[in-house]
This record gives sequence, C-alpha cells and structure tokens, in this order.
Amino acid sequence: MRDRLTAALKAHDVEYADIRVEDNLNTWVNFQGPDLDSIGSSRTVGGIVRALYKGGWGYATFNDLDDLPKRVREACITARLVGTGTTYWAPTDPVVDTIKASLVKDFRQVPLAEKKALAEEYNRIILGHHKSIQTSAVRYADYFKTLWYANSQGTYIEEEKPDTNLLVVAIARDGDIVQNGYETGGGADGYQSVENFQEKARSAAQKAVELLAAPPVSGGKYTVITNQDLTGVFTHEAFGHLSESDFVYENPQMQEIMTLGKRFGSDELNIIDDGSLPGGLGTHRYDYEGVPTRKNYLIKDGILVGRLHSRETAAKMGEPLSGNARSVHFQHPPIVRMTNTYIDQGKTPFAEMIKDIDLGVYAVRSIGGQTAMEMFTFSAAYGYMIRNGQVAELVRDVVLTGNVFETLQNIDCIGDDLAWEPNGPGGCGKGDQHPLRVGLGGPHIRIQNCVVGGQQ
Amino acid sequence: MIVQEIVAKALEKAQAAQAVMVSQETSAVDFENDRLKSAESSQRTKIDLKVIVDGKVGISSTTDPRDVEGVVQRALEAAQFGSPAHFELPEPQALNPVEIFDPAILPLEKPEMIRMGQQMMDMVKSYNPEILAGAAVNKNLYKVEYANSRGASYSAEHTDFNVGAAGQLVRGTDILFAGHGIGQKKRAVDTEAIAAQAIEYFHLAEEIAPIESGEMPVIFTPSGLAALLLSLALAVNGKNVYLGASPLRDKLGQQIASPSLTIVDDPFVPYGPRTSAFDDEGVPRQVTPLVEKGVLRNFIYDLDTAGRAGAKPTGHGSERRLTNLVIEPGQTPYAEMLRGVEKGLLVHEFLGLGQGNPINGEFSVNVFLGYKIEHGKLVGRVKDVMLAGNAFDAIKDITAISQEREWVSGPWAWFNGLIPHVQVGKLSVTAK
Ligand SMILES: [Zn+2]
Repeated sequence: MRDRLTAALKAHDVEYADIRVEDNLNTWVNFQGPDLDSIGSSRTVGGIVRALYKGGWGYATFNDLDDLPKRVREACITARLVGTGTTYWAPTDPVVDTIKASLVKDFRQVPLAEKKALAEEYNRIILGHHKSIQTSAVRYADYFKTLWYANSQGTYIEEEKPDTNLLVVAIARDGDIVQNGYETGGGADGYQSVENFQEKARSAAQKAVELLAAPPVSGGKYTVITNQDLTGVFTHEAFGHLSESDFVYENPQMQEIMTLGKRFGSDELNIIDDGSLPGGLGTHRYDYEGVPTRKNYLIKDGILVGRLHSRETAAKMGEPLSGNARSVHFQHPPIVRMTNTYIDQGKTPFAEMIKDIDLGVYAVRSIGGQTAMEMFTFSAAYGYMIRNGQVAELVRDVVLTGNVFETLQNIDCIGDDLAWEPNGPGGCGKGDQHPLRVGLGGPHIRIQNCVVGGQQ
Repeated sequence: MIVQEIVAKALEKAQAAQAVMVSQETSAVDFENDRLKSAESSQRTKIDLKVIVDGKVGISSTTDPRDVEGVVQRALEAAQFGSPAHFELPEPQALNPVEIFDPAILPLEKPEMIRMGQQMMDMVKSYNPEILAGAAVNKNLYKVEYANSRGASYSAEHTDFNVGAAGQLVRGTDILFAGHGIGQKKRAVDTEAIAAQAIEYFHLAEEIAPIESGEMPVIFTPSGLAALLLSLALAVNGKNVYLGASPLRDKLGQQIASPSLTIVDDPFVPYGPRTSAFDDEGVPRQVTPLVEKGVLRNFIYDLDTAGRAGAKPTGHGSERRLTNLVIEPGQTPYAEMLRGVEKGLLVHEFLGLGQGNPINGEFSVNVFLGYKIEHGKLVGRVKDVMLAGNAFDAIKDITAISQEREWVSGPWAWFNGLIPHVQVGKLSVTAK
C-alpha cells in the first residue's frame, strides 16, 4: 500500500496533499427485548485525498480504490478552485511507522455463535431481573480497522485499530412512567473486555427499576456534586470544545474570550487533553496528519495555557502543535478534536466535599450532553438529593445547564478520586462526524449555584 | 444489475434474499468564517444484503461491488445464528410515480455553487459585518437498485440539492448562532430568501430580553416543533409499540392531541426531501396518516416488526424512518397568533433535545434560540432559559396552528416536513 499511496501522491500539483485509506471489518449482535434484532457483519473500504492550495482545501472521498492518482488530481483541481489566500501549515518531522494491534483475546477468532451467546446471556439477565422490566437492548460490536496514511512530505503510517464495545440497556415501566438503566463496556485490547459483564447487566436493570419510584428533581439552583463520569462529560462538553482551535483561529472575538493567560477557575483547577495516555479511548500514537500526540495542559492552576490544534490552526495562531487532528471515518477530513480529556485530581475526599451541603444535588453519569460555545446542557443518568451533608433520595430527570465560564469559576472543590468512563458504543459528535472515540475523566467536583432543569 | 447477481449467488444456499445497492456522487462547497474554506467531490457505493436460511435472517454489507462472494458468505454465516424471519419478502408491485429527479441539477458545477454560497454570505455580511458568516451548497446524485428472490426489482435515480446560510455573532461572552437552509430534490431555490431568513433570526435577536420563570404560552416555529415531534416519532415507531415502550401503544383510534392537529407522513410530495417510491425492503411507499384531527391513526412498521406485531408494513424501511411530515395548516394567520400572546415565548432551536427520556414525551431543553413575546410582539432573544414539559400533554394543549407553513429540511434538520407555527397553551419556563 505504501507504494500505491506514494505513487498516487506524485500526481499532486499543490502545496500539500495527503491520502488516507481505511479498511474496516465490523461484526455486531443486537438484542432488543426477547428477540435477536440483528446479527451481521460489514466491510467498508475507502479513502480520502486532501489537497491544500493557497489556504483552500479540496477533498476527494471514495469507496473505489482503483484509480488513486485520479482522486489526487480531482482533489487538486478542487483546491485550486477554492484557494485564493495564504496557506498556513505547521511543519512536523516526517515519520514512517507501523502500529500493530495487540489483542489479549482476538475477537476475529471468536465464532459468531459465541458472540451471540454472550449478548443473549446479558439480555436474559436484564429481562429476568424484575417484573417491571418492560424491555431491554443489548448491543455488541467489534471493529477491526486498518489505516494507511501518506502525505506529500514523506510521512507514511500504517495502523491497526481494534475496538470491542458493549451496551446493555434495561427499560422498566410502571403505568406511563418509563425509566432506563444502562452500562457500557469494552476496550481496544480484545474480546475479554466484554466478558464477565453479568453483574453490570444486573445493576443496569436494578437502576431502571429503582428509578420508577424516584421523583423528578424539582428545577432550581443548587450546589451540585458531579460524579467522575459526569465530571468527564462536563469537562469535555462545556470546556473542551472551546479549546478546539478551529472555533477560535479565524474568530477574533472568540480569541479574546479564550486568551491564553486568562483565569478560568481556582488555583486547584487543571484541565488536560492527552492523546498519548496509555489505554485511553482517544489514544493514538499520531493524529490524522502524522503529528505525534502528547499531553496538553489546557488549564493549569486555573489559568488558560493552551489549546488543541491541527497543523493549519497551529500555524495560523502561531502556537505549538498538539496532535489533535482526528477523523471519524474516511468520508471526512480530520478536524480538531479532543482525545482523552479530564480534570486532574484534586485533594478533597468525597465525604469532605458533601458534608457542608444542606440542600444539593448529587448528579451521576451522563446520558448525553450538548454545547454551543458558552452554553451547555447535559443530562445525568440519575441523581440523588443531598440533604444535611448526606446523600439522600434518588431523583430522575436531572438536567444541568449553564454558562461554562461562570460554571468553571463556580467549581469550589475538586476530589481526590480521578476515574475514567468505560468504553461503549458512544462518542463525541462535532459537525457531522459522530461518534468519535474520546476518553472522558475526572474526579468528583462540587459546583456552586448550578441550574438544574426540571418542572417546577 | 449487480443486485440481481448477488441475489442469485445467495440463492445457491439461501431460500430467500434481497440486495440493495446505493451509488452516489456528491459535490459540495463549504464557506466558514467569512471565506470559502473547502470543496469536495465524493463517490460512494454501498451494497446491503439480507438472506433467509432455514427461516433465519442474516445480513451483511460491503462498499466493494466486486466483493460479491464475500458479502454473500458473511450474510450466510450470520444467518446460521440469525433471528427467525417473521416476514416474507414482498412480491413485485406497481409503484407510485414520484418526482425525485431534476435534470437541471446535473450541469451544476462547483463554480456556480461557490457563487451561490458567496451571494448568501455577502448578504449576511452586509446586514452586519460583525457576523462571522458561513454557507454550504451541495448536490447529490444517487441511484438506488433493489432486487429480491421473489422477482421484485426496482431502480430509482434521485437528485438532492441542499443550500444553507448561517453565522455567529460574538459580543463579550455572549455568542449567538443562527441560520437557515433548505434541502430538496430540485434545483430551483431562492438563495436570497434563505439568506434573508437567516438575517431575520439575527435581527430579532439583537436585543436580549430578560424573562421571568413561570408557566406561559409557547409558540413553536416550524423547526422548533422538533421538541414535540421527536417524542411523537419515537412513540409511533412500530418497534417501540411492539416492545411495549411506546406510551401510545394502546391508543390507536383515540384522541391523543388537539382536534386541530393532523399529521400525515407523505413520501410522494413532488421533489420533497425524503420522497421516494420504494423503501430498502422493496415495500412500496404509501401515504400514512399519523394523527387525524387529534386521533391517532397509524404506527409505522418495517417487514419484520410488522410480522412480529401482526401489523402491515408501511414502507418506512428497515429502520422505520419517517419521510416527509406534512402538518395541516390551521385557521390562524401567524401574525395574529403572535398578537394574541400577552406574555410568552417563541422557540426555534434547542440544546439537549433528545436527551433524557424522549419516548415518554418528557423534555427539558435549553432554549438555544428563542424570543420573548410581550404584548403581541417579539421583543428580543432570551438567554439561559430552560423549557420543560411533556410533548404528549403539549399536543393536547395546542391553542392555535398557523395558516402559513414552511419546509423544514436538509441534512442539518431534525426531521423533514412542511410545518406550521404551533402554539401551546402553557409550558414551564425556567430562567436563570
Ligand atoms: Zn464532544
């Protein structure tokens, strides 16, 4: 493949060009309710050529790999239609590297019958858990992706990216009230990462049943503690996306808001994006422009100190490369994305954090979040009221919303218990690129004056 | 056709098979941050195969039309462990004629698409140079081929054309996004009107209007109605009905909404964004009334779910997707609807839609773009406001539907349809 890509790139007549080709073999087993909903496999092969000319991009995407030089020419012609300005392109040393998958238990060797039996067992556990369990969903999927990347500056990378993931959902009903419980699992290191999930399946079912009896939280302003998973989602959604410099690099007002050196939170607040973190869901050795990944501080001791870049945005802003150009699929060019994003561990134990709260909300896990610059909103899977310094009754429909700048300033306590959200089928969406694997992590944090939505 | 070849190959081991192939060519231009940023040519092919062996279903797909052996072999393997088929593949049937192909789209080249995008951007910039403007224009030609082992074989060529303009305006830490776009199967499109609509959203949002928490009348714009339609779409999905998860599962023939509400799923709207003659299971599309004068009329079913539930397939494909949602216009001119509100909210876009438990109808969303109504007038944009309620209660509490309707469409839309403004009597609004 190296020869084919290098030969095709010779057809380019622009300032920079690259090709990425992917071959993705995917197998899945889905149960919904008592029935096997779908079992099957797919193979997706294709690629993208990017050409950069006078600041303008031309892309050609394709499934048919036959005539790669033609795709390169197509992208170049398109780039020449677009480019009329100046090219910004940060230099990086060319690399040649091969990254092989390392699997403890190779899911490609596991018969489909065994994958089906595994999903079926988890599904049976959920359905049999309690009489109010109405239905269930169990989704198993594995992917074996091979990527080939070459650019006109001599870089060639071949990488295998395996992924196994599992989602189990329990849906309980009582009259018109329907509640969900879920758990996710999996990993990049093989099939064993989705085995022995029986206990988790039971706890998903149990949570759905318990939530039936839980009242909706009543809307208002509270002192909120978020658990680790939710801290991770908050960090990613509310702040992380603002650190993606494609939002900033051509936007003078956003640059003013996100000026390096500005204080965003207390001295204790550290926010990091680290694409080189061993075992992280968003970990790569190189990003999709051949830039090595690394640990990037975004906020250090409460001060904004860095942001995430592609080669174009780094050059345009005159800031260091961070290794954050990523793409979800060959039909899309890489854009600036997070990798593994987290609030670093602080000093406060959970018991210490909660003990002075007379009335508050302990928000646990996340079932979705969305952000539009300063505004964010995300839904906790469930929550508990905090009363007189204690975790009290279970509540549902906990939706947190607010202005990120105010919320970061309102974090007055950071826990000593950093943890990462487990693998699962979800991921980050940006533009039309979804779901991209990202690591979400953090400790428990305490937020003052946080708006919790709900009916009043 | 390759699809017939694949079906024939599969029938060497399978008792029934169907194949669908979609081949697509796309051209797109994209403006970001006041400038032309990129343009793209794209070629895509996808083949989906479904086989039935000893009464069990196996599926597989590939992007490589030469991989006939591979795709057939993987589907056959999956069928060994597959779920029992609760259906038979459909026989050949006469299809409704549809208007889905506009030859005027064929000669449209990137320089002309760039010109259209530039024109919309220039309009937005000349309204307010502080707005960071963007635009997108893309055209799409695609061919869908279907064949099954009962001799049904259909083929359709579609054109798609999507045009949109958007921008963001930052003042201090306040950031405003607004935009408008259209997706359809014909070329004729009024770029000036699209830009003008985007500008109107900015214009109305110039002032920020504080609002107090409480219950108040809420008007949903056509695209804002997604907040209610999302729950309804989940609840009429035959799979959710069959699984018992839909709160409407036992409400066919009953009054579930205000008598003023009629919603029809119409796949035959000429050049509509989701118009087509057959679905990916070879089932002819059909007009499906969902709600008639407030009475629930139908659920939507794919072949297998219909078989399990003892219902008829409705031509919404294996994924049970709605096509073009057409809501009947009401009696009230929009201007009059607005004039009738003493104090309320007009909502257009949300953050957090679809989170939580949408099938229950419950929503609690951040109003991303919404306007305060005072003494019958839009007086400014609201900020940090949550709208909460239950979609199934809200559709019972519809107090007015506008005479005017707009197309909500395009790849950026939550759904596609011809939709009026809808006023709901009372919903809970929480302001920070
Ligand atoms: Zn994200």
